[in-house]
Amino acid sequence: MSPSWMLVEPDAGAHVARFESVGVKLPERRLTTRELMASTAHRQHIDLERLTGIRERRVGAPGETSFTLAVDAARDCLARSRHRAEDLDMLVCASITRSIDGAEYRFEPPLSASIREAIGARRAIHFDLSNACAGMLTGVFVLNDFIRRGAIERGMVVSGELISGLGTTAAREIRSIYSRQLASLTLGDAGAAVLVERAPSGKAGIAFAGFTTISEHSRLCLGMPTRRSPGARMTTKARTIHRVAMEDAPPLLDEIFGESGLGLDDIDYLVPHQTSARAIVAGERELAARFGVKPKHTVINVEDFGNTASTTHFLALHRYLTEGRMREGDKVMLLALASGLEIGVIVLVMDELVRDHGRSH
Amino acid sequence: MGVRIDWVAAARSRRAPWSRGALRLTDAAARACLAGGGHEASDVDLLVNVGLYKEKNLAEPALASIIQEDIGANPGHPPVAGHHGTFSFDVANGGCGVLTAAHLVDGFARSGAMRLALVVAADADPSPAFRFGGVGAAMLLETTDGDEGFDAFELRTFPEHARLFEASLVWEPRRGRHAIVVREDPAFAARAVECAATVVHALLDRSRVSPSEIDLVIASQQPASFPDAIARALGVDAARVPAGAGHTAGPLVALEAAMRSGRFAASRRVLFVTVGAGLAVVAALYRR
Repeated sequence: MSPSWMLVEPDAGAHVARFESVGVKLPERRLTTRELMASTAHRQHIDLERLTGIRERRVGAPGETSFTLAVDAARDCLARSRHRAEDLDMLVCASITRSIDGAEYRFEPPLSASIREAIGARRAIHFDLSNACAGMLTGVFVLNDFIRRGAIERGMVVSGELISGLGTTAAREIRSIYSRQLASLTLGDAGAAVLVERAPSGKAGIAFAGFTTISEHSRLCLGMPTRRSPGARMTTKARTIHRVAMEDAPPLLDEIFGESGLGLDDIDYLVPHQTSARAIVAGERELAARFGVKPKHTVINVEDFGNTASTTHFLALHRYLTEGRMREGDKVMLLALASGLEIGVIVLVMDELVRDHGRSH
Repeated sequence: MGVRIDWVAAARSRRAPWSRGALRLTDAAARACLAGGGHEASDVDLLVNVGLYKEKNLAEPALASIIQEDIGANPGHPPVAGHHGTFSFDVANGGCGVLTAAHLVDGFARSGAMRLALVVAADADPSPAFRFGGVGAAMLLETTDGDEGFDAFELRTFPEHARLFEASLVWEPRRGRHAIVVREDPAFAARAVECAATVVHALLDRSRVSPSEIDLVIASQQPASFPDAIARALGVDAARVPAGAGHTAGPLVALEAAMRSGRFAASRRVLFVTVGAGLAVVAALYRR
């Protein structure tokens, strides 16, 4: 057993889980980094686009909420799936934001109950799961366990992140590049959904799933409602997070490579959480220095979308599948790095999803 | 293989219900639970928080990760020698959080992914108008090969009653502040009992257990009438349904009372039945 990670042992369970379909919802409205920085209340000299590689992000229109983004993503996912909503055994909503119908945040019922009703997943058991930007991958971790044991055949993890309002708060309050709200300016809105199912016997799918929480850093990134205005605020010690992630992630990944028999150079696509191009490139360099090898390709998907919180991995996967860039047999490593500090890894062997993705069922 | 309940602890606010935040209550309950069960914090593989209402309405990170740091459950890397790391996240399912988490934990135990899990719950909020505050609880679940443990779970949602209970954070422009608005339809309590009874009967039928074989019922404490009403609906003596307090922590507070009084130890079959907005029902049978 690996000492640091919680993981389902590779030989445990009678089945293998696979990604059957991936769906997204992107709001139509675009907000360029230039526009966002021009809206700041205080004069500052931050070249955010050069710092982060983010040219623009999508922002929800009036009437769009976490709920509508999640429902639209779930419907997109089902449109690409062989399954219908009523075939789902489990539905997990994993977003950080939970806006719906005029409420900034819904506590009860869980958003998953409303999504279940909206898409007609009437057999699905459901719950919401919160794990910051690692939420969707944590949901996959849970579904993987249920499917491997044979407790369910298929389920969906969905998230709607209407989170760009944190950038609006930051634009009002930020004064310099040292502001703890700088990371809020990178956020964009999106919905994403993934349908996870039992793979046919003998087929590949999720080859590895593991998570751990380095909680001595739990207070480095905090998001909560603002006190004197509508909306929310996120404060991030971004430099510290980057530094501790660079210190802790390589030895943690080393354990995984030992556990799974994989090497970093066996990975065809590394999909890290999408914060900024510069941070991803620095992380890639750090891993290469540590392991002496690199993944064949590291996915950077921030230019047009920014950091879309818990949905980034699936936005990137959706784009690469749509562009036909992945082949059957490719090994894809989804790497979560989130406030908590949550570190998670899902390794996936690409299968017919690369062909099925563009088809409507 | 599955999980058995190793220990349960509750923590109450000594002063007004809103004077202590959810974090302090869960931290206190978690520490008491570990001490009661004779475990070190570093023994915990998985920590799941199911409380819904937290000070400052913190949305990120998962409160579970902060609790993990506070109680010292392998907060750093690498973990304490001879131990696993700890993984933490939050689950939200209204008043059904504790059993929803137990369902996930039971699964991870069956997969061999963990040995010891801590499920924590508390609801608190700075606003004096808030009605769920002031109590927290924690439960240690341990992987077991023995006979004692959770037998079967039944999860069902009745969307036709989804609007009977809603709680949200809204911005109040006139007052210039955020507020938690709770809307409970007068019919919620009655529908909750009907739906819960339906789910319990399905669970008992599936498990071939009759209501008369149930020695102890651990129930949600919201709505306040629920424990007595579900006892009546199932034809179970109300004395077998211990009273608790609180919202998401409610069933654990009742369970803690049953453990303290010796009732839990004296019971062979325990029924857990929780209800929440949605209208969601999660029930489980526990064999001792």
